[in-house]
Amino acid sequence: MRTFILFVRRFFNLILFLALEIVCIMLIARTKTLQGTDIVSSANTVSGLMYKKQNDVVNYFGLRKMNDSLINENAHLRAMLSLSHSYDTLKDIIIRKGLDKADSGHVVHYAEYVYRTARVVNNSISAANNYVTINRGSDDGVNRNMAVISGSGIVGRVVHVSSHFASILSVLSVKQQVSAKLKDGTIGYITWDGERPDVMVMRDVPQQIKVKAGDSVFTTSYSFFPPDIMIGTVFKTETVKKNNLQLLYLKPSTDFRDLQYVYVVENKSDPERKQLEDSVKTKP
Amino acid sequence: MNLYVKNFLKFALIVLLQVLILNKIVLRWWPEPSGFPLFIPNIYPLYILLLPFETPVWALLMLGFAMGITVDAFMNTAGIHAFATVLIAYLRTNVLNALMPRNLSDYINQSPSIKNMGWMPFLVYSSFLILLHHLIFFTIELWNFSNVSYLLLKVLASALTSMLFVIVYLLLFTKQNATR
Repeated sequence: MRTFILFVRRFFNLILFLALEIVCIMLIARTKTLQGTDIVSSANTVSGLMYKKQNDVVNYFGLRKMNDSLINENAHLRAMLSLSHSYDTLKDIIIRKGLDKADSGHVVHYAEYVYRTARVVNNSISAANNYVTINRGSDDGVNRNMAVISGSGIVGRVVHVSSHFASILSVLSVKQQVSAKLKDGTIGYITWDGERPDVMVMRDVPQQIKVKAGDSVFTTSYSFFPPDIMIGTVFKTETVKKNNLQLLYLKPSTDFRDLQYVYVVENKSDPERKQLEDSVKTKP
Repeated sequence: MNLYVKNFLKFALIVLLQVLILNKIVLRWWPEPSGFPLFIPNIYPLYILLLPFETPVWALLMLGFAMGITVDAFMNTAGIHAFATVLIAYLRTNVLNALMPRNLSDYINQSPSIKNMGWMPFLVYSSFLILLHHLIFFTIELWNFSNVSYLLLKVLASALTSMLFVIVYLLLFTKQNATR
C-alpha cells in the first residue's frame, strides 16, 4: 500500500494527464457515430444564450440579403400555388376545398408536416462536422431527429435540444448521408467529403443515367427530410471505372455561409412509421 | 489585481475572443476557397501558454481541460479541443525547461512572455506547441487519411494564422513597461 501511494505521488501528473485524455477520448468516441449523443454541445443554455446575444447585434448587417431571399422564396411559393390552383395568387382569392373524408378513393393524409421557423444564432462551415445552433428548443416543440430546411434547400438534422436552443448537424458533415433523387427518379445518396462547403457528392447513380450539368437533385421520401426539397444542382459528373457508377458533384442550393432563418420540419406520421419499421427489423 | 481573478478574467476574454470573433471570420471572409481548406484560427491555447512559470502541472492540466471543454461546448466538437489542449498543457513544462537558461522555479511571479523570454525563445515555444495542438486537433477531427496533403495544408495554414493572431494579441494586451 505504501509503495502504491508513493507510486501515485511520484507519477501523479502523468496519471492525471492520462486520465483526462481518456475522458476526452470517451467523449469523442460517443460522437463518432450519428446515433451517439454528445454531452457537451452548443445547445446548452450558456453558450446558446451567448450566441444569441451576439447574433442580436450582428443580425442587422444581413437584413438586405435576408429580404432578397424571402422575396425569392415568396415568388417561388406563389408560382407553385398558382400551378396547383390555377388562380391568380396576387388577387385575394382563397379557396377552401373541404376534404371529403368519405372518399376512400384517394389517400388524404400521406404525411403531415409542421413547419416551425427559427433563427440561426450560430453556424460553422470549416469543421469536418458542422453544426448550426438555432433559437428554438423543446419548449417550442423541437425534438431530436427533426429535419431542418432553409428557404432554398436542406440544412440538416436536429441532434441536440435544450429548452430554448437546439443544435443541428448540418448536411456539411462527414458522418451524415442524405437520400437523394434526380428529376427522373433515380435514387442515390449525398455525402460530403469534409473539404469545401460548396461541393457535395451524390453517389450510387448508375452509369447509363444521362446527367447534364445544371440538373437539380431533390430529397426523397426515404430520408427524414420531406420529399422533393431541392438539394442542389449538378456541376460535374465523373464515372468510377471500378463499379460503373457515377459520381455527381453538386453545388448545394442552400447558402451555408449565410443561414439566417430556417424551418424545423416535424413529420407528424414519423413516429408511426418508425415504430412500424422498427417492428419489422426486430422480427426474427 | 489578484492573480486568480486576473487569470479567470483572461480565461473569459480569450474564450469570448475565440468564440464570438475568430470563429465567425471564416463565414464572411474568403467566398470561394477553390480547394484551399477553410479553417478557423485558434488562439485559446495561448491561455495555457501564458500561465505563470511556477504553475504546477496538475493545475495546468485541469485548466487545459476546462479551457478545451468550454471551447468544445461552443463549437460542438465534444472533447477534441480538450484532448489537444491537455496534451500541450502536459508538454508545456518540458518545452519551457528546454528553452529557458535557468530552472523554472527561479522565475518567481513571472509568466512566459516576449518581455521575459525574448522574441526568439517565445516564438519557438508558442509556435511549437500551437503547431502540435493544431496537428492533433485536425487529425482527430477529420480522421481520414485518404488526403494527407489536405490535412497538412489545413494544419499549417491554421497554425500560421493562429500565430499571427497570437502575436497581435500579445502586442495588444502586453503591459508596456514604464520604467526604462
